[in-house]
Amino acid sequence: MIKIGLREARSHFSRFVMSIIAIALGVGFVVGSFCFREMLNNQVDQMMASNMDADVYVRGDKAVSDDGSSSSQNTYNDISISLTDDVSSLSGVKSAKVTYSVSGLVLVGKDGNAVATVGAPTLGIGISSAEPWRSASLTQGSYASGKDEIALDSYAAQKADLKVGDQTTLVYPDGPRTVKVSGIFHTSNSQAGALIIGLDPTVAKASSDALAEDPNVTQYIAVYGSANGGTALDAAQQSALADTINNSLPASSKARAVTGDTIRDEQSQSVKDSLGFIQPLILIFAIIALFVGSFIIANTFSMIVRESMRGYALLRSVGASPGQVFATVIVQAIVLGIVGSLAGIGLGWGMVKLIAEGMSQIGSPLTGSSNPTWRDVIIALLVGVCVSLFGAALPAKHASLAPPLQAMNETVNPEKPTRLRAMLGGIMCILGIGCWVFTVMLADNKDGLTPWKTVNDMNSGWPLGVGAALLVIGFIVLSPALVTGVSRVLGSLPSVFFPVTGKLATRNLARSKRRTANTAAALFVGIAIVSCLGVVASSAKASVAGIVDNGLKSEFVAMASGGMGVIPDAAVDAVKGVDGVKSVTANKLLQHVEYDGKSSTASTVTTDSSLFTDVFTPANTEGDPTKALKNNEMVVAKNTADDHGWAIGDRIEVSTDLATVKLTVGAITSDATFSSSIIIGHTEADKLVVPQMQRTTAMYISTTKGADLAKVKKDLIAAVKPYYVISVMDRDEFKSTISSMVDQIMLILYALLALSIVIAIFGIVNTLALSVSERTREIGLLRAIGTGKGQVRGMLAIEASMISVFGTLIGLLVGSAAGVVIQKVYASQGLETLSVPWGQLIVFLFMAILVGVLASLPPARRALKVPVLDAVASE
Amino acid sequence: MALHSSRETEQRRQLEARSRRRGGSPDTAEADGTALGATVAQAIDLTKTYGDKDAVVTALDHVNVEFKRGQMTAIMGPSGSGKSTLMHCMAGLDTPTSGKVIVESLEVSSMSQKELTKLRREQIGFIFQSFNLVPTLTAEENILLPLQIAKKSIDRAWFDRVVDVVGLRSRLTHRPSQLSGGQQQRVACARALMARPSVVFADEPTGNLDSKSSSEVLGFLKSSVSQYGQTIVMVTHDPRAASYADRVLVLADGNVTRDMQHPSYDEILAVFSDDDSAPDDGNASGDEVLS
Repeated sequence: MIKIGLREARSHFSRFVMSIIAIALGVGFVVGSFCFREMLNNQVDQMMASNMDADVYVRGDKAVSDDGSSSSQNTYNDISISLTDDVSSLSGVKSAKVTYSVSGLVLVGKDGNAVATVGAPTLGIGISSAEPWRSASLTQGSYASGKDEIALDSYAAQKADLKVGDQTTLVYPDGPRTVKVSGIFHTSNSQAGALIIGLDPTVAKASSDALAEDPNVTQYIAVYGSANGGTALDAAQQSALADTINNSLPASSKARAVTGDTIRDEQSQSVKDSLGFIQPLILIFAIIALFVGSFIIANTFSMIVRESMRGYALLRSVGASPGQVFATVIVQAIVLGIVGSLAGIGLGWGMVKLIAEGMSQIGSPLTGSSNPTWRDVIIALLVGVCVSLFGAALPAKHASLAPPLQAMNETVNPEKPTRLRAMLGGIMCILGIGCWVFTVMLADNKDGLTPWKTVNDMNSGWPLGVGAALLVIGFIVLSPALVTGVSRVLGSLPSVFFPVTGKLATRNLARSKRRTANTAAALFVGIAIVSCLGVVASSAKASVAGIVDNGLKSEFVAMASGGMGVIPDAAVDAVKGVDGVKSVTANKLLQHVEYDGKSSTASTVTTDSSLFTDVFTPANTEGDPTKALKNNEMVVAKNTADDHGWAIGDRIEVSTDLATVKLTVGAITSDATFSSSIIIGHTEADKLVVPQMQRTTAMYISTTKGADLAKVKKDLIAAVKPYYVISVMDRDEFKSTISSMVDQIMLILYALLALSIVIAIFGIVNTLALSVSERTREIGLLRAIGTGKGQVRGMLAIEASMISVFGTLIGLLVGSAAGVVIQKVYASQGLETLSVPWGQLIVFLFMAILVGVLASLPPARRALKVPVLDAVASE
Repeated sequence: MALHSSRETEQRRQLEARSRRRGGSPDTAEADGTALGATVAQAIDLTKTYGDKDAVVTALDHVNVEFKRGQMTAIMGPSGSGKSTLMHCMAGLDTPTSGKVIVESLEVSSMSQKELTKLRREQIGFIFQSFNLVPTLTAEENILLPLQIAKKSIDRAWFDRVVDVVGLRSRLTHRPSQLSGGQQQRVACARALMARPSVVFADEPTGNLDSKSSSEVLGFLKSSVSQYGQTIVMVTHDPRAASYADRVLVLADGNVTRDMQHPSYDEILAVFSDDDSAPDDGNASGDEVLS
C-alpha cells in the first residue's frame, strides 16, 4: 500500500505543486521567524561579547527596580569610581577601569553631511593604547589623543569615507569641533550599523562627566584578568577572579563583582526581550499561510481522490481494507509535507539571508548567524507534515469509506447545513462586538462604568484584543452561512453586465459554502489586519495634522535626527539669537522621575511657560497652565491625572535619585497634545535632574509679528547648520515629516499584505481548480450548447472575484471597525481624529477583483483544455 | 454504395414532403425557403481512427451519409460499431481523421473553436443520455440557457408552446434535482428545441429512462419532427426507441450496413437478431434490404 501511495504521489506531482508552494510559504515563514530571531540574538550576543568584554564587572550590590518596565534587566546602585584603584592592585587583575562612552555624537563625513545611521547610535568610546579595548585592534595610525583627534571603527570610516589624516567635524555634546582622524581600528564583529568612534579616554571621561549627575560614581567597573596573558578568561577563571575581588571589597563599598558572562547574559537577554515582538508578528502570517496550505491540500486531495475513486474501488474489490486505502492517501500527504517543509526551510533561510543582505545595504550590517538550527528544521518538518496530514485526513477518509459504486457518481454530496455554524459564529461575533462596545465605553468613561473597580481600572487593551479575536474567529465560523446571501448581493452587479455567466457564477459559489468561505478567509484575515492598521495610521496622521492646523501657534519646529536625537543647548541658544524669533520653547525630557514613590507611564517634561501662550493653548483645561508653571506647579494631562487619581490642588511628592520635592497639581488639561505628560517648571526640574541630563527633544520657535517667514527660516537653518542633524520645519513640513514616518511603518505592513495576497491567490486558484474538476461535465455541457471559451473564462473570473471580494469586504469591515475602536480608545492619548482612508479601502476592493480575475486564469485554462467530447461523453 | 442507394429513396421522400415547411409554428410558416427533405447534414468519406501506428482502431471507415431536413434518423449498432463516433463527428464534438462533415453547407470538420461555438449556438442542439441540465439553474432557466448564452431574444410564444408540449408548465421553477429522470430529459428536449436549431443530436436520450418516460420523451421528439419539421439525429441501441424514427441507419465496424426507411419495431428487431447471430455478414444483408 505504501508503494502504491508513493507511486501515486509521483504521478500526482504536478497536482501537488500548489500545495507544496503553500506549505513551503507557511513553513518558510515559521523557519524565517525562528532564523530571524536567532540571527538577532546571535548578533546581540556577538556585540555583547565584543562590547562588554571584561572578565569581571564590579557593580552595585542592590538591585533598584527599573521603572516598572518589562525589561528583565535590573538597575543596580551606582558605585564609587575610586574602587577602580583598589581593584586593579589585586593579584590576578591586569587592569580595572571605568569605560566611558559618549552617546549623541554626530560624525560628519567627507561630503560634509552628517553620516546617517538607521536607528543605530553614533557612540564615542574611551580607548587608547594604554587602555585598549580587547575586541578592537588598531589597523592604521594611532588611537586618538586630545579632543582634536578621533579614531574610527573601520565600518564608520568606510561609511564616512574618511582616511587617516583627514580633517572632519565631530559634534560633541557641547558643540561641533574640527577633528583629525588619527587612526582606524577594527572590531571583531559588526555593530549593527552603529558608528563607533574611539576618543581619548580623558576626553571621553570629560564628556561623560559633563552629562552625569555625579561624575564620581559609575554603574560598572570593568576588570580584565591577567591569568591568560591578556586574553579572555574562561568561566571558572572568571568566577575565581570575581571571588577574589569580592573578598577584598569592603561592605561599605556597596559593590559586588560578578563574572563577565553573567553581565553579558543579562544584557543580551534584555535586548532580546525587547526584540521579542518581531517573531509573533511574522508567525501571524505563518499561521495564515499554513491555514491556506492545509486547505489547499484538502482541496488537492479531494480532487485526486475523486479522480482515483475507480482505482480505490478496484483496490477495495480485490480485498484492500479501508485502512489500507487510507494509507495510500496518507503516504502521499506525508511525502507532500516533507517536500513542502524542505522547500520551506530553504525559503525561510533564503528570506532571512535576503533580509540580512538588505539590512547591510541600508546600513545595518549583521554578522549574526542566520542558519537554521536542527531544532528549527525539526519544527519545520513537523509543522509541514502535520498540516498536510490535517488537510488530507478528510479526503483520505472519504477515499477509504466510499462505497465502490459511488466511484462513477459525478454528483457531489449535498453539504451539511450551515445553521449550527451560523449560530456559533453569530454568537461569537455578537460577543466580540459587545467586547468592543465595552472597550469604547471604558475609554470614554473611566470611572463608574461598572460597580467593580477592577473592571473600571482594566487596561482597555484586554477587551479590545478579546473582541478582535472573537470577531475574527466568529466571522470565519459564520462565513459559510453568509455565502448564499453575500453571493446574491455581490452577484447582482456582474449579473447586470453578464446575465448568464453572472448568474451561473453566483449560484456556483453557494454550492460549496464552506469551501468558498474558507477560501475567502485567507484574504479576510490579511485585509483585516492591514485595514485596521490603515485606519489607525490615517487617524494618527490626521490627528497630528489637526493639532498642527488647529492648535500649533509657533511657526517652526526643530528636531534632531527625525525626533529621536537630542538637541544640544548650544543649538537652542543659537536659534534664540536669530532675528525675528520671538520665543523658543524647548521641551526637555526628565528621566527616572517618581511620583509618591511610584514610577509613571507618563513622560515628565520641563519647559517654559511660553509653551501655553506661544506654542499651543490647551482648550479644555481645569486651572490655568501658564500660571501654574509660573507658580512652580505641575500641569498634568487628564489621562495621567486619572491614572494616578490626582485632582487640582493635590500635593504630590516628586522624587529622583537626586532630590525629592513637593509639587502641587496646578492645572489638568484634557487636550490630546499633552496626553500622557506631566509638565513642570525649570526651577523644580533643575532640583530634580542636573541640567546636563535634561534632554531637549524638540523646540518650538515662534516669530515676532510681521517677520519675513522665509528669511527667518533661512536664518534658522543657517543657525542649526553646525549641529548637522537638527532640522527646522515649518508647519507643512512638520506634518509631512510625521506622516512620512507613519508611511514608512505602513510600507512594511504592505509587504506582509502582499505576501498574504499571494497566499490567498493560491487558495482561490486551488478552490476553483477543484470546483472545475468537479464540474467537468457541467462545463462540457455548457460548451456543447454554445458557451464560448470567453464565457467560461468570464464565469470563473466572476466566481473568483466574488470569493476575493467577499473576503476583502468582511476584512475591511472588521479591520476598519477595529481601527475605529482603537482610535476611540486612544483618543485621549493623542489619536484624536478618526480618519478612515476610504481611497485606500476602495483600492483594496478593486485589487480584490483583480486578484480574483488573476486567480481564475489557471483553472479556466484547465477547464477549457478538457475536450467537450470527453466532458460530455456518457462513457 | 450506401450513399447511392439512400439517395434514391431520399429523393422520393423529398417530393412527398415538398409542400411542408420547416418552421416554428405551423400557422406562420417561416419564409426561409428551406425545403423539407433537403440535406441538412452530410458526412463525406468520413474516417476516424484512434490509437497510434501499433494499435489502430478504426471507428469509422469511409462513411458517406446524408441527413434530410424534417426527418428523425436513428443510428443503431452494437457497441464499438462507431455510431457514437459518427454522431460526435457530425456534431463537431470530435474531429475526423479524414473526410468531411457538412452541416447547413458549413464544413464542420475544419472549424476553429470559435466557429464551432457559433455553430452550436445557431445550428445544433444536443440531448445527452444523462447530465443534461445545469444543476444550479431551474428548469425554465435551463431551457432558456442556449438563447441567453447566444444573447438571442426569447420568443415567449414559442417557449410557451414548447413547455406545453413537453408538459412541464408546473415544473418550471424546479431545480433538476427536484425532477424525475423523465422530466429532466423532457427539459433537455425543450432546451434543445428552444433555439430551433437546424439539427438536434440526441445521444441515447432514453438510455437512463424507464419505458413510460422513454415513450413520453420519444413521443415528444417525434411530434417536434412531424409538427414543426425539426431535424433529429438520435443514437440509440434500443429498437423500441429506433422504431419512432423515420429512418434507421445501422452501423457495424465503422460502416453503414443498413439504411431503413420507416421500419417497424419488428423489422428492427429482426435485423438485430440477424446481426447478433452473424455480425460479419452485415454488408451483405444491408445490400439486400436497400435494393
